[in-house]
Amino acid sequence: MVTLGDYLIVSGVLFAIGFAGVMLRRNLIIIFMSLELMLNAANLSLVAFSRFHVQPNGLPNYNAQVFVFFIITVAAAEVAVGLAIIVALFRARQTTNVEDIASLKF
Amino acid sequence: MIPARNLEIAVLVLGMLVLLFEAFVERIDKRTLAFAAIGALTAVLIGTWFLEPGPALESATGFWSFYTADPLSIFFKRFALLTTIVVLVMMIDYAPVLRSSAGATTQSGLGEFFALPIFTCAGLMYIVSAIDFVMIFVSIELVTISFYVLVSFTRRNPTTLEAGVKYLVLSALSTAFLVYGITWIFGVTGETNLQRITTAFANPEIELGGALFGAVLVLVGLGFKIAAVPFQIWVPDVYQGAPTPVTAYLSVGSKAAGFVVLVRVLRPFMMLPQMERLLVLIALLTVIYGNLAALPQSNLKRLLAYSSIAHAGYLLIGVACLAGSAVTFYLVAYLLMTLLSFAVLIVVAQRTGEQISDFDGLAKRSPFLAFAMLIAMVSLAGVPFTAGFFGKFFIFYAAIAQRQTVLVVAGVVTVACGFYYYLKVVRAMYWQVPTSEEKIPVNALSRATMSALIVATIWLGIYPWPILEALKR
Repeated sequence: MVTLGDYLIVSGVLFAIGFAGVMLRRNLIIIFMSLELMLNAANLSLVAFSRFHVQPNGLPNYNAQVFVFFIITVAAAEVAVGLAIIVALFRARQTTNVEDIASLKF
Repeated sequence: MIPARNLEIAVLVLGMLVLLFEAFVERIDKRTLAFAAIGALTAVLIGTWFLEPGPALESATGFWSFYTADPLSIFFKRFALLTTIVVLVMMIDYAPVLRSSAGATTQSGLGEFFALPIFTCAGLMYIVSAIDFVMIFVSIELVTISFYVLVSFTRRNPTTLEAGVKYLVLSALSTAFLVYGITWIFGVTGETNLQRITTAFANPEIELGGALFGAVLVLVGLGFKIAAVPFQIWVPDVYQGAPTPVTAYLSVGSKAAGFVVLVRVLRPFMMLPQMERLLVLIALLTVIYGNLAALPQSNLKRLLAYSSIAHAGYLLIGVACLAGSAVTFYLVAYLLMTLLSFAVLIVVAQRTGEQISDFDGLAKRSPFLAFAMLIAMVSLAGVPFTAGFFGKFFIFYAAIAQRQTVLVVAGVVTVACGFYYYLKVVRAMYWQVPTSEEKIPVNALSRATMSALIVATIWLGIYPWPILEALKR
């Protein structure tokens, strides 16, 4: 039997992997991918919470499932704009490595 | 009487119309679109005084459980509209820079530059009305995604693109934290509506640990938006690299909306003592870091970025002391003085540059611009008879009333520290020898806007009660 705790652990691990990817990787595309992973970790736990929060009438709490659709849509919009910016940066600098992007400094 | 939601719909339709004119009408001066947008937004601003009242928070159902039209939200809708109008005026001034960086004499893309702030404005208006986490998330993203495009708008310029990418990655990161935090709050309470979450917390069987974890993650997410330490790393680079009107918009609009959400979201959590201690700590770090890091700056835009971190710190002192009206007054004062300083910076930077040394002897070249900058700087520093003074006064007054001695001491010491770097700009303008005698021209619309901002800054510094009264109703 899979419990709520199991889903939450998987989602927590996904979130941690995503966060580690943002912090440690140096390629912008990979960083962006890790960010999407973090959003999907939130989606997974939302769906799990929804499934296990059974209402008095026996139905799951659908508020969270609707919220998941909003997150998916917003994430898609974010990717559309984000990739455009990364492509523009690649055209200007011929690199997507974050260590080469450091002209603004203290 | 107009239903409150029609305001946002009107703003969104306006944004789409501007985009359509940009796409299909070729033989007009694109700046006409900005003038039309300023006129239409002014009409919407007037419309905010003729609103139907919404239902009470407790009895709200359906749409009204996501959206509220309480006095706080209507006040900040006016705030967002006013900011957008001033930013559009700045953008008209900035249009020549945009054209030269596009490397062409055509006006391509200029209409988009004027349309995006309008969409951002709609997002800001939704944020201040949002009382449900779903609505908060979607409207914050509407603002953030518009800002991604605005920050990296001059995409031939590598510095701007770098700022755009930094903003993109760190903002998306903060969004991920926000969403994950909301997830946990939902998991514990089974609700996304703030009012019902407050009710759920009254239940003694609730697992406070999970809710606290969620609240901290939400605080991280919002901390990025309002530029609180330790989530301020993006601010200096993005503020310096972005087109100047966008920087002004980011520092006023985005920050004000962040604080309104913070005040609303924290209300259910403030009964937990851990939350209050955490806020006090963040406020303390933010005022100290912002003011100390601003000291050695020589680039004015970067200096204003650090000053905006410092001001976020003073606002957080107000939030930690639960002084809603003090925070609101401070935000209004901050709007006036920040927009004024950026308006002068845009005009001057086109002729000379963004360094403080480029302002040398401005008083001899253009007394009006120097005077406007002088008022902005003394108000940011908090000199009496300017709006900035009363802003800080009300915040510290609330902190003393709450017996937060550490916050008051740190606040007063850092204000003294602020005098040094703000007056550095004044010294350059009034005591240094100008490098050239050439006058800097200002067009009539910006001159009128600057004059209005100067008058408002001084007026609120002498007679602050209208703002405090407007909130009570």
